[in-house]
Amino acid sequence: MPGIVIDGQALEAADGQTVMEAARAHGITIPALCWHPALSVDGSCRVCMVEVEGRGLAIACNLPVREGLAVLTDSEAVRAQRKLTLQFLTLNHPVDCGICDKAGECLLQDYHYAYNATPSVSNEPKLHATKHYSLGERIVLDNERCILCSRCVRFTREVSGSHVLGIEQRGDTSLIRPAAGRSLDEDPYSDNVIDLCPVGALLSRRFLHQSRVWYLTATPSICPGCARGCTVDVWHRRPDWQLQAVATHRNHAIARVTPRENPAVNGPWICNKGRDLADLLERLRALQPMVAGVPATLEEAMAAAREAIAAARHPLALVSTWGSNEELEAFKEHLGPLFTCRVKADHQRGPGEPGDDGLLIRADKNPNTSRARALFGEAPADTPGDTDLVLVWGEGFDGSTLPAGATTILLGSFEAPENVTAAVFIPLSILTERAGHYTNFEGVVSGFAPCFPAPATVTHAEELFPRLVPEGGRP
Amino acid sequence: MKHLIPELEALKRRLPPHQDGVLVLPALRRIQEDRGFIADEDIDGLVEWLGIPRIQVEEVLSFYSMLRRAPVGAWHLQVCHNVSCSMHGAERLLAHLEERLGIACGETTADGRFTLSTVECLGACGGAPVVRVNEAYREALSVEAVDALLEELAGAAPPDTPGGWV
Repeated sequence: MPGIVIDGQALEAADGQTVMEAARAHGITIPALCWHPALSVDGSCRVCMVEVEGRGLAIACNLPVREGLAVLTDSEAVRAQRKLTLQFLTLNHPVDCGICDKAGECLLQDYHYAYNATPSVSNEPKLHATKHYSLGERIVLDNERCILCSRCVRFTREVSGSHVLGIEQRGDTSLIRPAAGRSLDEDPYSDNVIDLCPVGALLSRRFLHQSRVWYLTATPSICPGCARGCTVDVWHRRPDWQLQAVATHRNHAIARVTPRENPAVNGPWICNKGRDLADLLERLRALQPMVAGVPATLEEAMAAAREAIAAARHPLALVSTWGSNEELEAFKEHLGPLFTCRVKADHQRGPGEPGDDGLLIRADKNPNTSRARALFGEAPADTPGDTDLVLVWGEGFDGSTLPAGATTILLGSFEAPENVTAAVFIPLSILTERAGHYTNFEGVVSGFAPCFPAPATVTHAEELFPRLVPEGGRP
Repeated sequence: MKHLIPELEALKRRLPPHQDGVLVLPALRRIQEDRGFIADEDIDGLVEWLGIPRIQVEEVLSFYSMLRRAPVGAWHLQVCHNVSCSMHGAERLLAHLEERLGIACGETTADGRFTLSTVECLGACGGAPVVRVNEAYREALSVEAVDALLEELAGAAPPDTPGGWV
């Protein structure tokens, strides 16, 4: 445990640490562009330069700690060097922050203001490079903004393992490029390079020019895309920056999804399915309660459901694996005694969708199978022949397995043909409209918070379940 | 490159384990020496032999200007036009060579005997201006010396590999 001194503060470092790691472990931030805690050391950006007392300047990311080492992270010499480094980094950078999606959360922008804050001292014209180089259907590359930190290259080599990206050519003509005939579309984790990029060089096509980041706020949530349950930030329009006249639907739409770092579940990454949560959650919503396909009030629909439950002799409940821990527990408490309960997989693995890949993605495409099975058992979700009533909560119910003459009560969130044919349909809120917790396949419990208000006509499942119990229970 | 694998394997045996990536450069040099340039199938073969991602080979290929992806003429004349050679008349030599060979810089003569190009510093500034003829340096050249060089090459037997060792 070597003792070192950073900016006059004596601290204990761990053996084998670099000055960068030791500083961060003690809450001291040393600026860096190419260094990232989850990637190997590259040492190319030179921004993390510190002054080793008595020895001169060295990069903190590649400087091993040793007993008695004393460094200054913000001395006169360090600031002077950092200013020059930023002059070089912006030498051919277009400084087009006004039209760049990264502006507001760009490390180069932050460091420029903090350490340089002067116009370019070069009179040479800037070199031009490719502006909109396609890296596939999800990502475009602006080579002029790129500072060649190689974070994206190292990500595809060290984390996702796709080895798609590399740096071609040399010197000031160097370019990030995919290997011949390959594309980032092959990499199910590709969008992480957009977050990793410390500048606005790697851009999400989905988010391109959709919003300035300072109009957005992030709500902690959980990706329901598989049993991993990665913790994410769902970005949406800030309440104090709501659009008033045009495109007001955007006020309640997902702008983008980024990982919420969580060592217990997903580390700093998520897969591309998590980025596309809008595809899952912004499908056409079912908003109208119905009795036998006829629009009804919520009260009427609940009364019809209670009646059907009271009359049933062999009722079966198919429980949702997208329900939160709280909702599953509420179901167990209120409706569990009235039904034979089975756990249903709401979503199946789609064609071409990856299964267990050893990194994050799981073959089970439902977020809360773990808690649902713990409460309702492992029995398969098939329908016994004498079933006369099926209560279906959530998606993924195959109506063709229903015995003749049986009726269904559907509790769902999205438009589906079976909503109309069910005896009763009651619309429910979705993940982004309520709070709750999921238990992932390893038993880790994570929480999600509401991003948007629920539409007036939908109900939260947790509040609905006690109200579906017939007066006096089932005879 | 398949027929080169036995001799490259000998090189591999001299390395510590899991260091095979460092063989990219010597292997590419050997392939170019053998074929005169590096073809797509050579990259495929190298990727397969070393079991490394293709991008790793492409990075090396695009970094080093000495590695060629297309064939050159029998004699590859590379005129250094860096500072020392330019100050000693490299541009004049280049213009003279273009006129004598009837091609522009970067082109190959119709008979496939000469390719003319420029090159950055060859590290022989003491002998400026320098023209690299395949693998050999010709130093302290004048226009007359270039004429003599062309005459000499016209009478010489071309190397086995275009642009390669004599």
